[in-house]
Amino acid sequence: MTQADVRGAIEVAGRVVTRGEVEDFLYAEADILDAWDYDAWFELFEEGARYEIPTTDYRGWSLHAGGSFVDDDYDLIKARVKRLKSRKAHAENPHSRTHRLVSNVRLFAGEEEGTLRIRASFVVHRARDGQFDQYVGWYEHVVVPTEAGLRYRLRRSILGHESLPVGARLSFIL
Amino acid sequence: MPSEVSERVAEPMLVEDWERLTFRVNREAYRSPELFARERVDIWLRTWLYLGHETEIPEVNDFKVRTIAGRPLIFCRDADGEVRAWLNSCPHRGTVLCRETEGSQKRFQCFYHAWTFNNDGTVAAIPDNGAYEDIEALQSSMMLRSVPRLETHEGYVFISFNPDVPPLLEHLGDAADYMTMIEQQHASGVTTLPGVQLYSVRGNWKLAVENAMDGYHFSPTHNTFVGYLRESGFAVTDDDQYAYNLGNGHSLLVLTGHGGRISMVWEPRFGEAEKVRTEEHLAEMRERLGEKRAHYVADESHILFVFPNLLLFDIEGLSIRQLEPVAPGHTDVRAWQLVPREEHEESRALRMKTVVSFVGPGGLATPDDIEAYEAVQRGIEATRGAGELDYSDMSRGMRDEVKGVQGRSIDEGAMRGFWRHWERAVGGGLEVSGERPERFLEGRELA
Ligand code: FES
Ligand SMILES: [Fe+2]
Repeated sequence: MTQADVRGAIEVAGRVVTRGEVEDFLYAEADILDAWDYDAWFELFEEGARYEIPTTDYRGWSLHAGGSFVDDDYDLIKARVKRLKSRKAHAENPHSRTHRLVSNVRLFAGEEEGTLRIRASFVVHRARDGQFDQYVGWYEHVVVPTEAGLRYRLRRSILGHESLPVGARLSFIL
Repeated sequence: MPSEVSERVAEPMLVEDWERLTFRVNREAYRSPELFARERVDIWLRTWLYLGHETEIPEVNDFKVRTIAGRPLIFCRDADGEVRAWLNSCPHRGTVLCRETEGSQKRFQCFYHAWTFNNDGTVAAIPDNGAYEDIEALQSSMMLRSVPRLETHEGYVFISFNPDVPPLLEHLGDAADYMTMIEQQHASGVTTLPGVQLYSVRGNWKLAVENAMDGYHFSPTHNTFVGYLRESGFAVTDDDQYAYNLGNGHSLLVLTGHGGRISMVWEPRFGEAEKVRTEEHLAEMRERLGEKRAHYVADESHILFVFPNLLLFDIEGLSIRQLEPVAPGHTDVRAWQLVPREEHEESRALRMKTVVSFVGPGGLATPDDIEAYEAVQRGIEATRGAGELDYSDMSRGMRDEVKGVQGRSIDEGAMRGFWRHWERAVGGGLEVSGERPERFLEGRELA
């Protein structure tokens, strides 16, 4: 099976994952991030997972072959979480206030056995320093179903912008 | 953001006192629309500006569209392989000619009345040209408008809107050799990659320059990044880090012990395989460049500022950063990664990850830099119109300057050099009291 069927479910490693389950996973993550609960967020990654944000000129290359905004391996995700929890993460102290909307969720079979690819749209609103900006784009995630629920192997946010507008930055999680 | 026309700019812009060892910069310099307009004319339309790197347009007919000094340009390689910079504006009635951001094409066609131009600037077609009296004269007078000057050094393409600007190498002076050092880092030379960080900051362009030349902020501002380095087995120190004014507004930080650089200075976080590759590369470099030159190229990190819009970060990996002032409190930034043309696949992956972990608006360090100078831009509103109080202090290290001791990267000497050059360009008054030492403006001996 390469595409979710009409009811939005897909079989991965002998188990049926529904779109509802995937949506709940993404919504729960949005709540975690908006609540600035980075320990809970880190729990959503399997060991060895990656977090990526390509640049706005992205045309599908591997992030190892070009520049990017975020190219985190597992250790860097850990460092990023540690940084964001510190009072010394000046770009996020005080924290940005964010509000996330996730929609257009679709499921596909992952390239690797036992994985699932999620494509979804996001809008993140962010308020800080008297500024209010929006970040829009697509999630292209790879997740694995585990006993404890879905876990990220790759969490990738692709921006729909031509460039980051004035005052915008990716110091929080997109 | 202040949008009202500011109160008259109070002079002087710079106050330098060699008795009290103080150097102060008038904060109007960061926010006055009047000064911004003066900068446009006296700096941006007068001197050499960094346009882009040759490797961004490697093949004939490749082009990129880019705005420099507020002017839309087409940066292209024409059908004969010549690098060109055209004003991106139709000679007919001024329409933006190329509305793609990049691509490959031999001709540019204006959509308005369909005039078509070859990428060597000549007119390819003017539809319905029977209506003109002397079509040949019209066609030759309607060639694409070129920037008045274009010169290249080590692949870095510079333009000037001033036809009488001195030769590029004269402008670059001592900065030229540091650009050569980057090219010499790898036998295969270096090339830019796609994945360009395009972002904008709510701060004056000069705050971005200051920030790059300011080693003093490194520990407090980048506390979380320094912590990450320490945990990965590398302790950052301030030792043996110096700042130089290279003349013509250019400046340089020379850093050792600041952090690793892929294929040059190994750190534990790069892993054992990379250690072996680094040693092999260093041996090859000593062979190719000689012991002494290889030392300058390999052992030091450099942050080079080429006045007024180019920053080269030879730290972690290699980044080109270009500054484009849009308004007094708004700067567009474009950043490319430079890499060896030929590189082991694992080193390349490590390089990209390592560079991005520090630089750019999604990294673990640059967002704090941006936060710092955006906060300056907001904070300096507090003293607007407050005369004596409306100055920023950049005195750090003057005591050593008087003693003839080389300025350190954690001093503010490179900033003072930048500001003196800026003041010579735009005016506004430099008030000097006390006896100026001889030594503080000199460059660096590489003998
Ligand atoms: S304005 Fe370009 S063809 Fe008329
Ligand atoms: Fe910094």
